[in-house]
Amino acid sequence: MKKQKKDSLVFWLFLAPALISFVVVVIVPFFMGIYYSMTDWTAVAGITPNWVGLDNYKDMFSSLEFRYSFIRTFIFTLISVISINVVALTFAFLVTREIRFKNFYRAGFFIPNLIGGLVLGYIWQFIFKSVIPAIGGLLGINFLKELLLLSDPNLTLFGLILAFTWQYAGYIMMIYVAALLNVPQELLEASEIDGANFWQKLWNITVPMIAQAFTITSFLTLINSFKQYDIIVALTNGGPTDLYQGTVVNSTELLAMHIYNIAFKYNRMAEGQARAIIFFLVLSVVSIGQVYYNKKKEVEM
Amino acid sequence: MRKNLALLMVFVLVISMFAGCAKKEEAQEVVIYQNKVEINDQLTAFAAAYTAETGVKVTVKTSGGDTPYAETLKAEFQSDRQPDIFVIEGLGGYKTWESKLVPFEGDEWINLTDLEFVVDGKVYGFPVAVEAWGMAYNADLLAKAGVDPESLTSQAGYKAAFEKIDAMKDELGIDSVVAMAAGPDMRWVTGLHNFNGYLSAGLPYGDTTVLDKLNNGEADMDRLTQYADWVELLFQYSDKTVLLTGNYDAQVGQFATQKSVFIHQGNWIDPWLVSNGVTFPMAFAPHASVAGTLDSIFIGAPSFYVLNKDSKNLDAAKAFLNYMATNEKGHDYMVNQAKMVPAFNNVTLKPDTPLSANVTEWLAKGKMYTWLQNDMPDGFGMGTIAPIYESFAKGDISKQEFIDQIAAKIAELK
Repeated sequence: MKKQKKDSLVFWLFLAPALISFVVVVIVPFFMGIYYSMTDWTAVAGITPNWVGLDNYKDMFSSLEFRYSFIRTFIFTLISVISINVVALTFAFLVTREIRFKNFYRAGFFIPNLIGGLVLGYIWQFIFKSVIPAIGGLLGINFLKELLLLSDPNLTLFGLILAFTWQYAGYIMMIYVAALLNVPQELLEASEIDGANFWQKLWNITVPMIAQAFTITSFLTLINSFKQYDIIVALTNGGPTDLYQGTVVNSTELLAMHIYNIAFKYNRMAEGQARAIIFFLVLSVVSIGQVYYNKKKEVEM
Repeated sequence: MRKNLALLMVFVLVISMFAGCAKKEEAQEVVIYQNKVEINDQLTAFAAAYTAETGVKVTVKTSGGDTPYAETLKAEFQSDRQPDIFVIEGLGGYKTWESKLVPFEGDEWINLTDLEFVVDGKVYGFPVAVEAWGMAYNADLLAKAGVDPESLTSQAGYKAAFEKIDAMKDELGIDSVVAMAAGPDMRWVTGLHNFNGYLSAGLPYGDTTVLDKLNNGEADMDRLTQYADWVELLFQYSDKTVLLTGNYDAQVGQFATQKSVFIHQGNWIDPWLVSNGVTFPMAFAPHASVAGTLDSIFIGAPSFYVLNKDSKNLDAAKAFLNYMATNEKGHDYMVNQAKMVPAFNNVTLKPDTPLSANVTEWLAKGKMYTWLQNDMPDGFGMGTIAPIYESFAKGDISKQEFIDQIAAKIAELK
């Protein structure tokens, strides 16, 4: 009895540092956030917030900008999840084959991920604004020379996806590389002896064997695309403008940035908080759904 | 024994987590939390000299540039050492921080300036510096084109000048008449500075009738229509690349490399021009924001030092600001070190940079229009209306739609 008591004391003491910090920096702020989202909180110390109920949520759903931002975020997420995974998987196949300098390529593809999003955003801004017109001028292609890529809403969104893919595909590639190296060679050899071609091997052996990696990579790309902020700030700063139902809106102000702007630029903290909570809920539902779906596809050896 | 040691270590870990929060007693010390990164070194040096002379420690903390000041200031107030002096930018900041402010009373500097920040007859803010913008022009190119700067006082005058210069583009070697930017990085130029013309151009100094109407959700349609002509004129004679996607460097760079005759910027571009070796003569002309004759440029104090009500060192903080305004060392710091235009009329030093020197002339003549762009609701200028300018510049919306959309956004402020 005494020993049991002592054991549980030790257990809780060891747990305490992690538990306390988790409660203090995650659990408590989370519930405070829900409370603040139903007040007119301004974050100035010394002013007591007033309870406003669900007003902030009502404002949010009637806001055209929020709706537009939501749609754009979904488009951005969908396309970047696909493009990152396709690029990463292709790279992973290439660098797991018997080619020369494969370690060099692996490192090369991975390096963009080591560059911070802000720096990377500025680099791509320079490419879109100066390098592409310069190339156009050099080759005598007037279309490229006069292309103001960052003033067209849709081209800019694709530019963002390009920059984000460039940054993130290398990292996802590493996960695929690890998974591909774990595919048992004897299965592949056996199927070869049975006369399977490349696509049959890929579809019936490799893909099921790396299904676990798909779960991880889709999850990572999904949440990171959804939460994208730093590249956008540096590359487009939310612009250029677009027309949505007759209203001028910012075409690349995706949700994370939209929430930030509402909270800090307009100084409407509580409204920003309400939007952040909806953002959290949507992201949780989408990512849990994705993990559940992917898990069903995994095979056990 | 070993188990006890493990227990002890866990305790130490837990306790050390909280140890960081322990409070320390402070001596007499003034903390300034300010937002101008470019003067951080100069202000720190001035504060050190002040400490050496008076023994009062002055600590300068800076946040600004890419880290947004308004946000970090809130964090600063949540910490255990609140600043004694911090910065607000006009009425918007006042409304946010109202509960934390205490007015100045009977300080010597108040009688030396017209630009202090006043609410209900109480002086709350010490003007950090004077800044101004107008249509800055390259005097050499303007003379070469045969345009008299005196003629630039109305929309008709500007139109004639722009047409004349535009026809001589190749001769002058310019890309466009005006260096103007309306892209996503430059929303302060359109949504704040340009729009201020609608709010105050042509009105007596300190007249806030148009602003008050705006804050009540009412647009002055006549003024707005006249103002849209001015915006159209500027956009029409700008270089499309700089206008739509240019950033600060692109815009100032176009003017600095003599690829444009005018630039829509203020005297804060001086350091950029000096460090890039620009030597041609330049000066400001008024903005013809509305119809009629306009003879002044927009002059104001962009930010103010204010006092924290809960400061334990209020007297020391006040003494430091007074010293800056009244002592020659303070003047030297403001004019020669920090390269600012002081708001105080007892300062005899003259700035050595071209546009700032020009501002002191306008200031001396008393030809100024009010800065009201910071007194609009938070985010209205840069967040709400600036995108409309961008769409107008791209040609997505017509001039009439531009007017209607801005009027609609003003109506939403009700």
